[in-house]
Amino acid sequence: MPHAVEMTGISKYFPSSNVQANRGVNFRVQKAEIHALVGENGAGKTTLMNILYGLYEPDEGKILLDGQEVILRHPQDAIRCGVDMVHQHFKLVPSFSVAENILLGAEPGQAGFLRPAMENEVVRRLADSFGLPVDPQARVRDLPVGMQQRVEILKALQRDAQILLLDEPTAVLTPQETRELFDVIRNLAQRGRTIVFITHKLPEVMEIADQVTVMRRGEVVANNLVSETSIPELARQMVGREVLFRVVKKPAAPGSIVAAVKNLVVAGAGCYPAVKGVSFHVRAGEILGIAGVNGNGQEELVEAVTGMRPTEMGAVYLESHDITHLPVGERRAKGLAHIPEDRMSTGLNLKTTLDENIISTRYRLPEFSRRGFLLWANIRQFAEKIIKDLSVAAAHPGEGIDTLSGGNLQKIVIGRELSGDPRFIVADQPTRGLDVGSIEFVHKTLIEARDRGAAILLVSVELDEIRSLSDRILVMYRGRIAGELSANDATEESLGILMAGGKLAQVEKEA
Amino acid sequence: MAKHSSGKQLTNAVLIPVLAIISGLLVASLFLLVSGSSPLRAYQELFKAGFSCSRLTNCNLFQTLQLATPLILTGLSAVMAFRSGMFSLGQEGQFLIGATIAAWLGYAIHLPPVLHPIVIMAAAMLGAGLYGWFPGVLKTRLGINEVITTIVLNNIANLFMTYAVNFPMRADQGTTAHSPLIDDAAVLPAFVQGSKMGIGLVIAFVAAGLVYIYLWRTIPGYEQRMAGQVPLFARFSGIRNEGAALRGVALSGAIAGLAGAIEILGVHHRLLQGFSTGLGWDGVMVAILGQVHPVGVAIVAVFFAGMRLGAQIGLQAALQVPRELGGGLIALMILFVAVQNLYRGWIEGGREWFQKRVRRGDPVQK
Amino acid sequence: MDSTMILDLMRSGIRLTTPILLAALGAALCNRAGILNFALEGKMLLGAFLGILSAYWLHSSPLGAFVAMLSGALLGSLFAFLYIRYKVDLIVLAIALNMFVLEMTVFFLRSFFGNVGTWSDPSINQLPDLEIPLIHSIPVVGQLLSGHNMIVYLSWLATICLYVLLFHTRFGRHLRAVGENPAAAEAVGINVARIQLIVLMLSGALAALGGAFLSIGHLTLFTRNMSNNRGFIGFSAALFGLNNPVGVFFASLLFGTADALAVRLQNVTDIPPSLIQFLPNVLTIVALVLIALRMRGKELVARMRFRSRIRKQLAEEQAQRGEEFA
Repeated sequence: MPHAVEMTGISKYFPSSNVQANRGVNFRVQKAEIHALVGENGAGKTTLMNILYGLYEPDEGKILLDGQEVILRHPQDAIRCGVDMVHQHFKLVPSFSVAENILLGAEPGQAGFLRPAMENEVVRRLADSFGLPVDPQARVRDLPVGMQQRVEILKALQRDAQILLLDEPTAVLTPQETRELFDVIRNLAQRGRTIVFITHKLPEVMEIADQVTVMRRGEVVANNLVSETSIPELARQMVGREVLFRVVKKPAAPGSIVAAVKNLVVAGAGCYPAVKGVSFHVRAGEILGIAGVNGNGQEELVEAVTGMRPTEMGAVYLESHDITHLPVGERRAKGLAHIPEDRMSTGLNLKTTLDENIISTRYRLPEFSRRGFLLWANIRQFAEKIIKDLSVAAAHPGEGIDTLSGGNLQKIVIGRELSGDPRFIVADQPTRGLDVGSIEFVHKTLIEARDRGAAILLVSVELDEIRSLSDRILVMYRGRIAGELSANDATEESLGILMAGGKLAQVEKEA
Repeated sequence: MAKHSSGKQLTNAVLIPVLAIISGLLVASLFLLVSGSSPLRAYQELFKAGFSCSRLTNCNLFQTLQLATPLILTGLSAVMAFRSGMFSLGQEGQFLIGATIAAWLGYAIHLPPVLHPIVIMAAAMLGAGLYGWFPGVLKTRLGINEVITTIVLNNIANLFMTYAVNFPMRADQGTTAHSPLIDDAAVLPAFVQGSKMGIGLVIAFVAAGLVYIYLWRTIPGYEQRMAGQVPLFARFSGIRNEGAALRGVALSGAIAGLAGAIEILGVHHRLLQGFSTGLGWDGVMVAILGQVHPVGVAIVAVFFAGMRLGAQIGLQAALQVPRELGGGLIALMILFVAVQNLYRGWIEGGREWFQKRVRRGDPVQK
Repeated sequence: MDSTMILDLMRSGIRLTTPILLAALGAALCNRAGILNFALEGKMLLGAFLGILSAYWLHSSPLGAFVAMLSGALLGSLFAFLYIRYKVDLIVLAIALNMFVLEMTVFFLRSFFGNVGTWSDPSINQLPDLEIPLIHSIPVVGQLLSGHNMIVYLSWLATICLYVLLFHTRFGRHLRAVGENPAAAEAVGINVARIQLIVLMLSGALAALGGAFLSIGHLTLFTRNMSNNRGFIGFSAALFGLNNPVGVFFASLLFGTADALAVRLQNVTDIPPSLIQFLPNVLTIVALVLIALRMRGKELVARMRFRSRIRKQLAEEQAQRGEEFA
């Protein structure tokens, strides 16, 4: 019997970000199987699913559905072949009802006129036939997230989807809603539908999936029957043995506590808590690394600490000041520096010159302004000093920066943030998208800052970066701290398990 | 050779308006042909009439400069707002508010010369500034689109001025409603007898300089520009975006109000029903063609004023070509700025071709 | 004021409402599709100009009105092309167009008909007024509702048709989806560009029809800036009417009646007309503020509910984990 889905030799390269997202991927799913696709960020799982959904065309390889080869150029092609996707960000019209959303684009009726009564009936029957009760007339914007997801699933089922792709479906669900979703998935599989879901949460994989494919850096590294594997084994496969960078550094000599976070609760998009009561502290002369797969609350945590997002509950302290509700400017004045995740749209203004970028956090200092007037000569001097000290290539102070490479742009950000010797540095994915030389530079700079006595909070999805730079490591999973490890105890395996939701058998935590 | 992107920006900033002007002239010549005139002859008359100066007592250029005065100021008003990230189109209404306040204080209070006009202009700026601040608050606090609110507020200001000039401030019951003449002490003197070009022009140019210095050399101006360009970056850097936007839009209102006050104090000396012929909207267009920069605004304002005057004197009086072509030309030029995305691709291609030739050092053979 | 004056006032109000209503319907349609269309003023003025000119040259007013609508639709399609293909800023384009139409209509008038401020010609017939068969015999109501110009009735028809279109047809639902969440519409295969094109053409045609009404619907003449901001007032009416054709109808009626009232009161009392015309404008701002406040209020409530829900959820999970370790 042919597989429901068979993808062979799939390769996909994205020139714009210089990334080989998929490399010779073979992926097979049986009919009526519940198949999990796991991997860290950048493993290539979302790209693979997007290819199956027709959003991208592969550079190489072919796709067979039920044994027939298909060419998918557009999601419409995929839908017509019975493949449909439920995205992480729902594509629903908030003011429409459930029925109106489910039947959008496929409304029954003659001569272009709508038949609301018929629509409600159709949806009711559909929902009942799958055992997924919904109120067809409820307004989608009034529904809880779990119910909205159900509407998305029904939308796909209505279009006769035989193969359902779910992208991180439990990311925004409460535990109760997750349980309900799993019931739905089992139900659908029993009725002959094939389910593929992308996740990094291994406990869920163990609970619901039949098979699991593990991807890493664009390739498939393993394919297991869930009944024959375990969380630790999957975690090991997910994380692998990549050790690219080992920074030489002196052992840390941490001083007093500089920054602390207590019971922090931060809201994510929609109405779910992204950070659910996190507490930790960072000492002077120490790098605290926060590891975790993207989407477990790290971004919201960083934003709350740096002032870019409000805090719902809990507190943030900087050198005994309560900065929980202070605006960004005041936090910076108290010694906070922030290397943001997105240097191009947050850390820099690509529409203006280097001068104007380099003093965006320091223009009130007496050396750069007097009585409200900017002292451009001094600013220019400062910019030139940064360019020289950090070897920023092809940069001129009075010129725009939009043509500089990623590495040089990050140097400008770091030059700005680290000047003035900040007490507390928050570095969020500081080497994302950078070449090897730039990565080395950033790591060196952070270590130097640490040795000068700064407290550094490092957030990264790159395990090797976390391991080589951090003195202590926290792992975030589902909005909480899943565990704390010292640099010596943090093996890839133990980190991988914590990052994927598992528990460490032998608990070796530092006091 | 490093790519100097600010050089590229500068050439774009000059190239786009120049292309727009040329395109506008070309398309308008079609209309001229259709209505039976020779475009070359018409343009000759137009520019001669707008910018010529034969004797000090017969100098069209003076009148052009006088007409340019409110345009420079309303243009600066648009620059201040746009650069702060607020697409406020309320210059028209703020202009009227400033004019109404000026016309009223011109006869309602009595102060010695020099002091009287200064106080009046300050009051006009304050009132119009508040009128600009209000839609700003609606945007920053409640998220209400400022394009819509400023246009509605323009209507309200227009109605208010009409009411004021017809009733409380009405001087007599003649056919066109107007307010009493302002005190002599309040009048802004002209430079040359017979023309109305005077101190107002100086104020306008000084304002252009001040706006440039404010936006590019002071802290509040820097904050406004950053918040206007990339709000996320500004917030990340510690800038208070709300305050910056409100400052921008309030100052924008004040400058437009100053324009209105100067029109009253320097030119009309009283409020007349229907005296503003869309000067606020002209300012927006001056800012657009002038690439939202004080220098561009000053140049384009004089250019537009000259075209309008040239159309009136040169085209209409001399050639019997209706003077509305002047306004039509201006509109066409803005149209071509609006569709610049269309030929941006051509500019880029042209630049690459040009650079290739320069680098090669010889004409492209194959 | 006696009853004939009131009747006269209301009839005049209905007449003055019509161009505002047509522009407002167009604006509401665009708003629903997520497009801010400020060019309705220019399209209305162009419709007035081309309407009366074609009526003159083609010796038929209905044809003139038709040509006007055609010009509005064509202009709308040009806007759509520039917007969809080249991502042109529609607001700047609108400013340029409005100004262009304002000046060049007078230019052409003067070029071809001599140096006139207002242009008319005895050969041009006003568009026909219509008497509604049964209604016009009813005593008061008949005099109020019957005998208006055909475009007045067309505008009422347009209101009903647009209401049905928006809320009872597939196209209307797709349109509303595009305006609220274009990603959702794209995902189900709705052709967003096609909808934007149709909306811009339709709103252009409606505004132009309103313009034709101005020039050949009552008096037959054309003056400079004949539309006199009615395009923008129509936009305000659309917002005030919450972009729902029925609401828009009554909002436009409010604006139109205010205009009629203003003129008449001037003759009877000392109340200045502009004071009355104030009201609809101020009400628009008030309406916008109230709508925004309501949204903010909802967000606040959602936030508070969210907080209490988290507290409960956290406490639950705490208890759960406490049990696990026990």
